Formats: sequence, C-alpha cells, structure tokens
Amino acid sequence: MTYHLPRRDMFKIAGGAFAGATLLSACGGSGGDPSSIEYWGAFPTPETEEYFRANFIDSFNSSTPHSVRMSTKQLTDLASLTDTAVSSGNAPDIIYSPGPTTSISYAQGLKTLELDDYATEYGWDERLLPWAAQLSRVEDRMYSVPTSYGSLVLYYNRAVFEENGWTPPTTRAEFEELCEDADSKGLIPVGAGNSGYPAQSEWYLTCLLNAAVGPNRLYDILTGARDWTDDSVVEAMEMMKEQLDKGWWGGGADRYFTNTDPDMCTGLATGDVAMYMSGTWSFSSMGTFFADSGNDPEDWDWAPLPSLSDDVEPGVYPLAIGTALSISSGSKDPDAAAAFLDHLVGDTGRSLGYLAEQGENPPPVAYESSDFPEGTDPRVQRLYEEIPASTNLGYASWTFLPPETNTALYTEFDKIITGDIEPAEYTEVLNSMFLQELGSGASPTPFTPQ
Amino acid sequence: MSVNTHDAEGRARARALPRASRTPRRRTAGLLFLAPLLVVNVLVIAGPALSSVAYSFTDWDGINTPGFVGWDNYAALWGDEAFLNALRHNLVWTLFFLTVPMGMGLLGAYLLSRIRRGRTLFRVIFFVPYVMATVVSAAVWRQVLSPTAGLIPALDAFGVPWVGGLNPLGDPDLALGAIAMINNWQWWGFLVMLFLTAMQSVNPSLYEAARLDGAGRWREFWHVTLPGIRPTLVFLFLMTIIWSFLVFDYVYILTQGGPAGSTDMLSTLLYRTAFSEGRAGHASAVGVVMALISALTIAGYLVLRRRLRWDV
Repeated sequence: MTYHLPRRDMFKIAGGAFAGATLLSACGGSGGDPSSIEYWGAFPTPETEEYFRANFIDSFNSSTPHSVRMSTKQLTDLASLTDTAVSSGNAPDIIYSPGPTTSISYAQGLKTLELDDYATEYGWDERLLPWAAQLSRVEDRMYSVPTSYGSLVLYYNRAVFEENGWTPPTTRAEFEELCEDADSKGLIPVGAGNSGYPAQSEWYLTCLLNAAVGPNRLYDILTGARDWTDDSVVEAMEMMKEQLDKGWWGGGADRYFTNTDPDMCTGLATGDVAMYMSGTWSFSSMGTFFADSGNDPEDWDWAPLPSLSDDVEPGVYPLAIGTALSISSGSKDPDAAAAFLDHLVGDTGRSLGYLAEQGENPPPVAYESSDFPEGTDPRVQRLYEEIPASTNLGYASWTFLPPETNTALYTEFDKIITGDIEPAEYTEVLNSMFLQELGSGASPTPFTPQ
Repeated sequence: MSVNTHDAEGRARARALPRASRTPRRRTAGLLFLAPLLVVNVLVIAGPALSSVAYSFTDWDGINTPGFVGWDNYAALWGDEAFLNALRHNLVWTLFFLTVPMGMGLLGAYLLSRIRRGRTLFRVIFFVPYVMATVVSAAVWRQVLSPTAGLIPALDAFGVPWVGGLNPLGDPDLALGAIAMINNWQWWGFLVMLFLTAMQSVNPSLYEAARLDGAGRWREFWHVTLPGIRPTLVFLFLMTIIWSFLVFDYVYILTQGGPAGSTDMLSTLLYRTAFSEGRAGHASAVGVVMALISALTIAGYLVLRRRLRWDV
C-alpha cells in the first residue's frame, strides 16, 4: 500500500522541523546578554562556585560598565573542552590554561591576544611576582595572566609526630631516619600512589627532582645546558626506586598502583601514613579528611620539602601555576576581557578573601601579613608569606615541562616501579623527548634560580 | 538456502511495486525525507572521520595549524613500542571476549532455554549488571578488588589460601585480566539474553527430529541449536571484534592504561597522545588504524557471507 502525503502536510512537517531545529539551536546557545564576554569556570564544590559567582562575576558586572557571563564546566573537563573550543574557533573570550605550557601553545597558534598594552594599563608586570610574569611571556610578549599559584609541601599529622617524637625532616639523613622509624612502627612512611590519576606521580617526582637534584641543576636541564641523563637525576631516581622497594613510598611497589590521593590523606589523618608530599591545593580539603575520620582538623600541618641531597638547600618550594588566563583572539570585546582579568588578579583583598573563605590558591602576587583577612588559616597564610620571601624556589613539572616530556615523566616512571626499565634508561627517554620539544619552542622559559 | 529465497522474494516485491513509486517525484520526496539524516551523518560521522584521516597525515598538536608530514605518523607507529603494546592488549582482549563471554553466554542461554520455572528471575539477575552505569560498576569493583579494604583482605582473614597480598588492579601481570573479568561481569548477561531470544526462535520440530534420531543434549546443541542461532552468533562475533578494538571506559576508569602500560589499549593510548602529549596528528593515525581494523573485520565478514552464503 502506498500513501501520498498531501503537499500541505509536507509543508506542515517541514515547517515543524524548521521550528524544532530553530528551538534546538536556541537551546544550544549559551544564552545571556550577547554583548557580554564569556568565561568558563570550574570549581571543586558548589559552595566555591557560589562564592566565585558572587565575589568575582556579580561584583564585576555591578562595578564596571562591562558584563561577563560565566559558564560552569566540570573541573576535570575544562582543559580538554577549552582545547577543543580553541581549535574549532569557538573559544570563550577568556581562555583557560592549566599552566603556561598550554598558554604558550595558544599564543604560538595566534589563538590568544598579546596583552602588553593591558599589562601596562593595569600594572600586571609590577604586580605579579617576577617568575610568574616571566612565565606569562612568549618571545618577550605577555600572552597570559596567572590567576592562581601554589607549591608542593610535606604534609604531616602534628599529633602523630608528637606521639612519636618526630620533627619534620630537613635533610636526607633526617628523612631516612624518620622513614625507617615509621616503617618499623607499621606506618607507611611517605604517602604515594597513582590509582585513578596516573599523573599523580608527577607530584612526587617534582618533589624528588627539586629536593634531590635541586633548582640550580634543574634550571640547567630546563634550559638545555645540562642533560636529563645527568648523574644527579639518575642518582635521584635510583634513590627513589630503592626507597620504593623498601616500602617507604606508598607502602611499596605492590600498593603504589592502587593507592589514591584520598587514601593517602585519610591515612595521614588516621596515623597510618607518616608524611605526604603533595600540592598546596590540598590545603582546602585536608581538614575534611581529618574531621571525616574522627580526628582534629587542626592537627594537619605542613613543612617545606626536605633536602634529599647534600648539594641542595633544604626547604625548596617548587612553583606551580594552577590557572593562567588569556584573551581569545576572536573576542569581540578584548577591553572588557582585560578588565575582567584585572578584576581577578588586581584586588588583593578579593583574592585573599577567596583563599580565606574557600581555600582557593591566590594569584602570584607578593602579600603582606596585614593583607590577609581575619579568619585566614595561619597554615595557609604562612605559605603565601614564605614563598615571596624565599630564594629557594624550584620548578613543578606540569608548569615548566613541555607536554610530551611531562607525560613521559610519569608514564615511564611506572616502569621504574615495576622494574621494567632502569633509572638510566628512563632519563634517556626523557632527554630525547625534551630536546626535541625544547627545539620546537614548546618548553616554557624557566625563571633564573635566585 | 533461505537467503536466496529471501533475496528472490525481495526482488519479486520490488518488481511488483507500482510504477508510480519509482517516479522522479517520489524519488525526490524520498530524498527529502532522507536529507536530514544524511546531513546529520555527514556532519557527525563522515565529516569528523574524514578530517581524522586528513589530520593523520599532519603534525597537528590539537590547537595550531597542522603541517603535512606524509606517512610519517603511520611509519612511526610500527616502531612505537607503546602502540605495539596497546595493539597486543587489544588482541588479547578480543580473544578473551570471543571465547569466555561467548561461551558463558551460550551456556547460560542454553541452560535457561531448558527450564520453565524461575526463567524470568534468572533473566533479570543476568541482565541487571548490563544496565548498571559503567562508572558505578567500576567503582564497586575497585572497592571489591582493593588490596587493603575489599574482598581480598576479608578472604585472607578467613584463611583462604593464595589471596593474601593479591592486588589485581595494581599488579601489571593481573591488571588486564582483572579488567576483562569486570567487563565480562557486566557483558555476559546481555549475551545470554540475545542467545536465549535466538534459541527460542529455533523451530522446536528440529529438536524433536533430533531426539527421534537419537541425538543427545550435546549433539542437539551442536547440530540444531548452534546452526539455528548462527545469524546471531556471527553478528556478535563481528561486533565483539569491533567493540574490542574500541574498548575504553572500564580501562580508563580503573587504570587509565597503567600500571606501567600493562592495560594500555589503542583507545587509551589515542586519548593520552592527543590530550596529554598534544600530538593529535599521531593520535589520528592511531584512530585510523583502529577504524581500518574494524573495516577489515566487516570486509572479512562480507566475503565469508558471500562465499558461504550465510543467512545473516
């Protein structure tokens, strides 16, 4: 049987389809005022998002002639979503980068605007810490503004340390003595693992490289003046392998691949883990692990990294940019976008209020003690007072290494743990990749050690 | 073969269609109805697929303008230990899913087809894992297989031998098998349902005839059931091969290819190469190889179908 569709019905169907498509396309848009600039944000908790919206978005919209609309993304997806949007030419006005490596790539592809005029207008160069201002530059032109920074430190449980008569180690001898004692008492001496997030290994490797190889040699390596195959790097990896085999890191090779970051934070709270080298992003959540396990949230504390070599000064702070923002070259209103960037980094009170209330890392700016609002956790405040005052500053891998080398740093490290490759082979792999990427201009320029 | 009968009937029906149905006007109307689907197909499937092929000949980093590098990405794959390692894992995975879940599915379906009471209950029990979200079942299994807080330390505490210190997801020698078993836990019940449906469509008189001829259970299964469900069986073999080269979710959630690359698949390698290493051109070449494997599988099937005149 055949059925002839009347022409009028065909028009109805076609009209309906067109209306539906229009409606769908309308739903697909980001909505809001089309004249406002677009910003993509991602937050660890709904409370943090609410705080940011009230104190950064709404305050910008009410205090300036410009308007910004925020679209919230998943924290884990923001970088890849931004990559896709940038490469397809549909980037928001403000482009997120999880560090300078990505912002360099955007700048080299002319996806982002040069910011030197805005830097002069808003005084960003003077405001930002010198190392951060330097990292924002590509071929001596500013292309991004770092809006959060942090470091890696050694976390410990004050109650557990007091109970065992321990103090935070500052030298390799003290570190090893504490590890042996903790191990003999049934504790995991140093929390470690990469289950669920293989890149977690780079936290420990960053600590190791800064504490055992040291900022001076690392600077030489990052600038190509020294190879990754340098004895100091090989020896550092051998030392870590030896300590892993003793079960000092994460309880040993057999546990390393199933330990998670929350496992280690909980272990620190419950006294099952003696020390944990991790990022300062855990400042905001460490107290929760202590409270959730029935311990006092005031018991967690941190110390700068110990030295793991006679040639390295104790207390190095590896520096890491958490977020760098740029202005899309396709932005219809770069002036408004620049004003919003300044709104994010230009007001000390607003930045430190965010730190005090939500534990979110502030922009790399020099802060005075008097800048911190009442109620700021003194443990958090101490970090952001000590880093600008310190001359012992190091390099976080994800901030200073080009992407392929950085990925190999932690994926190939797995093979050292399993014994599939030797430390010397590992450094050869890193070296060949790094030299290739250094030559292509994909590597950020490191700051000169102070 | 019934396929010939069907084809002949189809051709006869086509000839019997009114001439009006083949007029240009009807054809235009048909094309108009097809057009939205074709547009969607071109935009969503064909466009990205073709652009992936094009990018596989470039040094694209995923962001900037790509440069043409010819066959370099493909040439690099054959010397790339990470690629060969992932390809090996995909082949092992394929072999596993062509045998273990298929065997379990056939056995489960056959046993279910033999019973009357409780069949619905068993169908539900077998099927429930399939409707669970992958993320949920992966999280549950991660807990179950935890060396510190899961089933293993509990069994160890009860004195079960061999399990002490076992770490299925953290041991490079066990991790791939552990993930395959977890995936199979979700998958095999679905196969049971498909095979059971197929078995129920087999003509019961064939079983009666087999029994009259003195066939036992095994011969009945081998000579009646299996030929009767061959279309379903062949289709699932084909799809299993294709799906095995696309596997991503469980691996990514549970190990992300670790430890030490022991569970790396072509899909996880592709994802890491494109999004962590910024080598989208190289990753595209991996993707094209994956697509070629699927295409070869389908081509092989079509050849077999034509030569053996399979009714699928």
